[in-house]
Amino acid sequence: MKRIEKKLKELSQDNQKAFVGYIVAGDPDLETSLELMHLCVDSGVDILEIGVPFTDPIAEGPTIQQAHDRSLENDTNLQKILDLIGRFRKKDTETPIILMGYINNFLMYTDLINRSDELGVDGVLVVDIPGEFSLKDSGIDNKNLDIISLVSPTTSRERIQQIAANSSGFIYYVTLRGVTGSSNLDGNEIKKNIQYIKSISMTPVMAGFGIKTKDDAKLLSSFSDGIVIGSSIVELIHKNSENKDFHEVSDYISNMKDAIR
Amino acid sequence: MKDNLPDKDGFFGEYGGKFVPETLMYALNELEQTYKTLKDNNDFNAEFHRDLAEFVGRPSPLYFAKRLTEHYNTASIWLKREDLNHTGAHKINNTVGQILLAKYMGKKRIIAETGAGQHGVATATVAARLGLDCHIYMGSEDVRRQSLNVYRMKLLGAEVHEVNSGSATLKDALNEALRDWVTNIEDTYYIIGSVTGPHPYPMIVRDFNAVVGYELIDQSQESFGRMPDSIIACVGGGSNAMGIFYPFIKMDNVELIGVEAAGKGIETGEHAAPLNDGTPGVLHGAKSYLMQDESGQVKGTASISAGLDYPGVGPEHSWLKDIKRAKYVAVSDDEVMKAFHMVNKMEGILPALETAHAFAHLDELMPKMKKDQHIVINVSGRGDKDLNSVVEIEDIKL
Repeated sequence: MKRIEKKLKELSQDNQKAFVGYIVAGDPDLETSLELMHLCVDSGVDILEIGVPFTDPIAEGPTIQQAHDRSLENDTNLQKILDLIGRFRKKDTETPIILMGYINNFLMYTDLINRSDELGVDGVLVVDIPGEFSLKDSGIDNKNLDIISLVSPTTSRERIQQIAANSSGFIYYVTLRGVTGSSNLDGNEIKKNIQYIKSISMTPVMAGFGIKTKDDAKLLSSFSDGIVIGSSIVELIHKNSENKDFHEVSDYISNMKDAIR
Repeated sequence: MKDNLPDKDGFFGEYGGKFVPETLMYALNELEQTYKTLKDNNDFNAEFHRDLAEFVGRPSPLYFAKRLTEHYNTASIWLKREDLNHTGAHKINNTVGQILLAKYMGKKRIIAETGAGQHGVATATVAARLGLDCHIYMGSEDVRRQSLNVYRMKLLGAEVHEVNSGSATLKDALNEALRDWVTNIEDTYYIIGSVTGPHPYPMIVRDFNAVVGYELIDQSQESFGRMPDSIIACVGGGSNAMGIFYPFIKMDNVELIGVEAAGKGIETGEHAAPLNDGTPGVLHGAKSYLMQDESGQVKGTASISAGLDYPGVGPEHSWLKDIKRAKYVAVSDDEVMKAFHMVNKMEGILPALETAHAFAHLDELMPKMKKDQHIVINVSGRGDKDLNSVVEIEDIKL
């Protein structure tokens, strides 16, 4: 069984919701990213989403954009990120890892991406490839990798069906109209849309974009299979990057994990 | 030669497509459907062409450049005078068309990106005419270079948002406009200013600008009794070039030449010439030639002209390059300044710095031409907006 499926099954058997945590690889540097990946898992993150930095990340709000810029100043690239994941796997062989990024970076490394399952990657989420299009057209073809697709409040029901049919691992429901880190969640709309996705697909659904507080997390996890948090974690990492004391990150993650229990 | 592209997924050969975050798909599909319905609608077309005639002042003249012709003493040089349009550039053709789409779709809020400010001014102009809320994104470096146009947009009632992220130029203005659109997707129409971006934009912007090429067919026939031998246009994103090239793609004996910005020189790497020195990649929703490094990060650009200072180019140009239907050359900032002065002194025309790139190719092209041939330069815009830059570049005290 693939790692994502296995993890989500275990959580579901325990009546638990999944916590997907996002960090940008190479922010503040790759050594610290390795430490932060383990810290996230130790504090309650079930699935790691590793952001691949891009010069022009159009779906990101200022917090994550700036993290991409900081990482690029260290010359982070996909090769180095896969090395990082290889090192993480020496200690942790169970936590699923998803690469999240933009197609232009993936295009330069298709051979590497197609071997990345051997290096410990479990899934890819390409933000700017809409879910009804196949990643095979962009040269990414490996059945051992789950292809995570986005569904948003503006996705038509017809397209949700196509996207659900093409997705594996989980479906990522974008909870708002906006970039990452915004704040205008509409609980009723989110509930209605996630219930629709679940009515036509067996694939688990995670809710993300704009989740900041325990209340947000609690509400959204009540009708999804889990939540994704990015900007808040990235912001706390940046705030503490100078002294490299990340207990604030760890406290935040355990609080959010408690909220969705 | 195929001129029926893009295909149903928005591709010109391997270029184009819709590489966007999910939230935008709804708006792109809505726009595509609306355009499909309206483009053959008589009322819509009548309104578009009435606006082009009465508000823009079309057709723009085809003018014989007598002294330039005598100077090179080979082929006849003709100028397609888009600089005489209302607001001073070809950009108004596309905005007049797109604002009509916005009106038919019932959108109340207009956003746009701008580099040189010409597209921002053209957008603010058409939005003012319909009383629509208008927001223009512009890199802070360009705000400085093109302060007159910034003031013009404000006079027209638009709000200008200065963009400081990345290189603070056109590319970053586009990023911010896309982020605005993702956030305000339902009531907002995004008027993209070039033949770039996700499908259906490269097609829509080309179609609205193709009025330039269609007029040229008739005017060439009237002025010299046949089609031109060569058509020359500057290429940043490529909208003025695509507009004048498009009706001629299937006429194999008409040479199409796009001129990119070589900045400080192609060999220095400090330029804005993806068709000359780039590789295929994906930026701003489309696959096309792109200035990027070996990791797929987009490189910074350099050009004397804000309107050409962009690392990507329209996907249809990438396709025309690969199938060798159009030829793409590049000229340096120094060559551009020389041409800028030449056109002022010999023809009494103040070209935009973007447009001066097309003229700068004449030194190379004209010696190869014959006396009985005819070439056309697309004079994409006028240079009033660039006077501050020119004064600064040449260190002149006014």
